[in-house]
Amino acid sequence: MINNVKAWLEDGIVDVFLGYREMDHHHLPHCFTREHMEEVDDLVISQVRYPLEKIATHMTEMDPDIKIGMLARDCNDRALNVLFLWNQLKAENVSTLTVNCCPSRLKEHGDCSYLTPEKAGVFKKQVGVDNNLEVEELDTYGRKERLNRWMYEFQKCIKCYGCRNICPVCFCKECSLEHDELIKTGPLLPEIPIFHMVRAVHMAGRCIDCGLCEAACPMDIPLRLLYGKVSQIVKDVFDYDTGSSALESPFNILGDKVALEPKPMEPAIAVNE
Amino acid sequence: MTVKRITFLQELLGLLGLEERLHLSWISSAEAQKFVQVVSDFTEKIRSLGPNPLLAFRESKIAVAAELMPLNSKGDDYDQQRQSMA
Repeated sequence: MINNVKAWLEDGIVDVFLGYREMDHHHLPHCFTREHMEEVDDLVISQVRYPLEKIATHMTEMDPDIKIGMLARDCNDRALNVLFLWNQLKAENVSTLTVNCCPSRLKEHGDCSYLTPEKAGVFKKQVGVDNNLEVEELDTYGRKERLNRWMYEFQKCIKCYGCRNICPVCFCKECSLEHDELIKTGPLLPEIPIFHMVRAVHMAGRCIDCGLCEAACPMDIPLRLLYGKVSQIVKDVFDYDTGSSALESPFNILGDKVALEPKPMEPAIAVNE
Repeated sequence: MTVKRITFLQELLGLLGLEERLHLSWISSAEAQKFVQVVSDFTEKIRSLGPNPLLAFRESKIAVAAELMPLNSKGDDYDQQRQSMA
């Protein structure tokens, strides 16, 4: 792997390589460059994961033609796919090195910080929503109970914006969650449930189920489950598989593509001649 | 497309049990009768559903856990678990 990265940098296949570097026993995301080739020896692959593609998006914002290499698990690949579709990254400018992935519903074994999800305690199970529930199991609660359980989870929120900041597919310049006319901002608790529902709606056609939001959440709100529900509805209603589909999202602001061919207009006939 | 988007929103509101409070109809500007009908029907429906359950949460900013306990399983689950632990 290390030799591979070195070769890529030396041959100019990539300008920078995004991976993880061990610093003071912490595995931190690091940008490896040609100028500091010796750092590549510290490249590590572990359970630690960060949204490297988000860093790539920020870099591309500064320099649209930069060639970026990065380590990619399955979730990174799905996020990249979404970012390509939303025109945030160019597929020809991103090269990936595949690494072992998390044991989600898709895979049984892997290296990922999501490897051992925390078990919900008795109280949370009783009044809240267990993070490890399946989306289908949510429907077993009655209407009133569902509302109460979700509101219990939402009212814990301290509006740290961690879920948005870590999210690999959150790339908007202006965020509705910080728009004073839509949601009250400042040092207040968030308005619930609108804060979470707005984010949930924005995850439609984007969320790739990486679970980083839930990992980042200091209040342990089952966000992965919430957005999992959103993705499931998108699948049911729009027949769109977020992350794996090569089609543009049905929530694209430009809407459906027009199938008409562009034609020059008929030349106007001058009347006065 | 609009039908799909509204269906999506209804399903999402269904997560909080509010799905019946959103309604979509196409009414032309020439269909006054239909407009009256749809609005009256929807008003009746909302009236029968009662006030917005979210208002209760807004009034008590700091939610009390006891009030939030799901109605169906108040206490039972907890007692069982306590017994099984003991």
